[in-house]
Parts: sequence; structure tokens; C-alpha cells
Amino acid sequence: MIDLRELRYSYPDGRIALDGVTFSVAAGESVGLIGPNGAGKTTLFLCLSGVFRPKLGCVNIAGLDPADAAKRRQLPTKVGVVFQNSDDQLFSSTVAEDVAFGPLNLGLPADQVRQRVADSLGQVGMIGQDERVPFQLSGGEKRRAAIAGVLAMRPEVLLLDEPSMFLDPRGRRELIRLINGLPGTKLIASHDLALVRDTCSRVIVMDAGRVVIEGPTELMKDAALMEKHGLETPFV
Amino acid sequence: MSLNPEHVTTRDSCFARRDARWRLAAFVLAIVGVALLRQIGPASVALGFALLLAITGRVPGNWLRARLGLLLLALIPFLVLLPFTVERGEPLWEWRSIAITDAGLIVAGTLAMKTVALVTLALTLLATAPLHVTLCAASKLGAPKLIVQLVLLTYRYVFVLLEELGRLRVALRVRGFRNATSLHAFHTIGQVTGTLLVRGSDRAERVSHAMRCRGFDGHFRTLTRFQSTPADVLMFLLIVGATSGLVAWDVRE
Repeated sequence: MIDLRELRYSYPDGRIALDGVTFSVAAGESVGLIGPNGAGKTTLFLCLSGVFRPKLGCVNIAGLDPADAAKRRQLPTKVGVVFQNSDDQLFSSTVAEDVAFGPLNLGLPADQVRQRVADSLGQVGMIGQDERVPFQLSGGEKRRAAIAGVLAMRPEVLLLDEPSMFLDPRGRRELIRLINGLPGTKLIASHDLALVRDTCSRVIVMDAGRVVIEGPTELMKDAALMEKHGLETPFV
Repeated sequence: MSLNPEHVTTRDSCFARRDARWRLAAFVLAIVGVALLRQIGPASVALGFALLLAITGRVPGNWLRARLGLLLLALIPFLVLLPFTVERGEPLWEWRSIAITDAGLIVAGTLAMKTVALVTLALTLLATAPLHVTLCAASKLGAPKLIVQLVLLTYRYVFVLLEELGRLRVALRVRGFRNATSLHAFHTIGQVTGTLLVRGSDRAERVSHAMRCRGFDGHFRTLTRFQSTPADVLMFLLIVGATSGLVAWDVRE
């Protein structure tokens, strides 16, 4: 479902963000992408979603190559990205308008869009909150509304960037339940290794723009490895 | 008085139930008509008319008073100076070369009533529908889509920026900063403003990424649908008819 080969990306100022990233994720798999700040996780997500254009390497995600302009335009229908800060993602005046934003961009008829909005809000447990204003939502509600906006696109692949950031323990528990109930292939970038342990079957460790190691979540039991890469084992 | 940008919650009213396009067109024409008035008689009736529309539209009194209070505060310098600056008419009070004329008082009164009427009309328009519905109606009536999008996004993110400003102010206070007229204070305020601009710019970039990831192609689309009824047309005709009457009276005087 996701296949990367020797992906390289540099920022305009020349700093290398991704330095030969290679890994694969099978359909239906839930994989954690872990690593310290600056490891390149968010940049990788922006490359996978077609926002950034890598200089070198091959990407195939949900059967599409983001380097191809025609395929890149189809990416929003197949790949959904949930960003670190939900305020960046909830830009419409009401929750319903925000969830409808993506499906409307797909050119779907209004009835179908309304159905998708209702279904997505139901999936994240926000039925009846359609007319609420995004800035009045709590952190957990904002996160769920942002996920609803992505689910309304019916993506095959979900990229979740630091999904538990800004959440209190209750919001975090609800999020874990929600993620575990979501269909499709999931790639979850997080520092919250306990969340990764509870939602993923496999982890990929990144540091300084490279994949250091990948394997089952039990890999995170290796305290020395975690510490070496700016992380802490969630297994106590 | 209030500078709080928070939009008022729309209450059910005869205006809230009307098609937003007709309501917007009627109120915009009423605002233009009131702005054209030059006589105190029509201006005072216009103020009464605007307040009547606000009451009919069930605009929350506290919300309206807070904003009109701020407006009147801004008007004070004009209202105080105008009676001294209009030279025509009979002087009501004189001291050396300074005089208050009846014409000056009338001009000040007309200005005050017209301005309060205009702002009351605008606030009634805003309070009788969610902002995105009013802006969507503006777009349907031919307002430039880019402007509509900019207003919508600005309105959405002004709260986020205000929250950030609040956090920065707390951070300054806990480190002993107090507002003062010193070079250090001005320097700090400049830095805070710069920080806000940089954060705003970063956020704009992230929002743009989020929009592109959901298929944004430069065209805003919305679920809001409008449907005209005879009651919408009647409301439009009543408001525009009353405003036309005021303008005609003003021209005849």
C-alpha cells in the first residue's frame, strides 16, 4: 500500500530532511513511525501526500506516484493526512462545513456530501455537533473533527501526525479507541510510544532523515535503542 | 464596550428565517441609503428605523450596546469639535473668536444619528445569520470570491491569533514585563508583534498544506443552499421602500 525507495528531500535552505528513506507498509497494516524531533516524520508525510516534491527516490502510495502531476491530483481521494495541530486543519466556520470541505472538492453532489458528513461525524462520535464553531471545541473534539474531515474523503491510507499532541489523558484514551476502530492502512508518526504500542503492530524508527530500524512493536522494549534515538521505552 | 470579535449566536427571528441573499441585499441598500442622508430629520427617523429592525431581528441587547458604546466613544472627538467648526448659522455661544453655531450642532447630531443607524443596520445583518451564511450569500450576489474566502479565513484564525497573543502576554507578565512608555517596553511590543506575524505566517503555510491534502484547488465550495420565497421579497421591498422614502424626504428638504 505504501512503498518508498531511497526517498530524498532537502529544504530550500539546503538542509537534508530525508536521506534515502526506504520502507513498505502492507494494506490494512497499522505502523508506527517514531523518532526524535527533526527526524523527518512530518516532512515524510508531506512528501507522501504530494505537498512536498522529493528530489530523488520512488514513492508509491495507494497505487499512485506523487511525482506524477495527474496522480498527485488523485491523492486526496486515497490518502488522508491528520496534522499535528488540529487548528491548522479546521479552517471552516462550522464543523459540518469543515467535514464537507474535502468531499465538496471532489465534486460530489450535495446529498452525497451530507451523507458523508453525517457518517464521518458518527464514526468519530460527534453526531449533533455539525453547527459548532471549531474554535469553541475542546482539544479532543478538535482532533475528532479533524479526523472526521479526513474520513469523509474515504481514504485508503491514513497518515496521522502526532495524533495525541495537546490531548489530556481522557482525550488520548478516546483517540486510541478511535484509531483502533478506523479501517484502512494507517501510518502513525508519534513521540507517544505508548499510543504507538496500543495502536500499531509494527514500528519504523527514524532519526536524522533515515530509517534506523524497523520491526514489531516489541522493538520499543530495547531501552538502549530508544534512548540512543531520543525516545523512551513505553514498556515498564 | 467591546472589541471582542466573537460572533453573536443567531436567534430565531423573522430576519433569521429569510433567505440570506435577500436579507443581505436589503440591508446593504439600506446602509447605502442611510449613508446618503444629509438632513437631521431623515437621519433621526433612520436611527429609529434601524433600532426597530434590530429589535425585530432579536439582536441581543448587550451585544449591540457594547458595540455601539465603542462606536460612540470613537465619535466623541467629532461630536465635540463639529459645533465649533461649522461657521454658517446663528451663533448660540461665543467667546472671542470661538463660537458654537446651531448649524454645527445640527451637523454633529446628524453625523451621530447616521453613524449609529449605519452600524446598527450592519450589526443587525451580522446578528441574524451565521457569518459564513452571510458571506456565502455575498458570494452568490457577485462579491469577489477571493475577498469572501479571505474574510472567512481571517475570521476563523483571528481567534487563534488572539489566543497566541494571550499566551505571549502571560509569558511576558510572568517574567516581570509591565506596559510602560519606555524604550524597553516599545522594543518588547515590537518583538511580540513580530513573533505573532511569524507564527501567523507559519500557520498560514500549514493551513495551506492541510487544504491541499483535502483536494483544495483554489475554489471554495459550500453546502449552504438558498431558496427564495415571497416573504423574502416582501422583506426586501419593505426595507428598501422605507429607505427610499427616507432618501426622497432628505432630497426634498
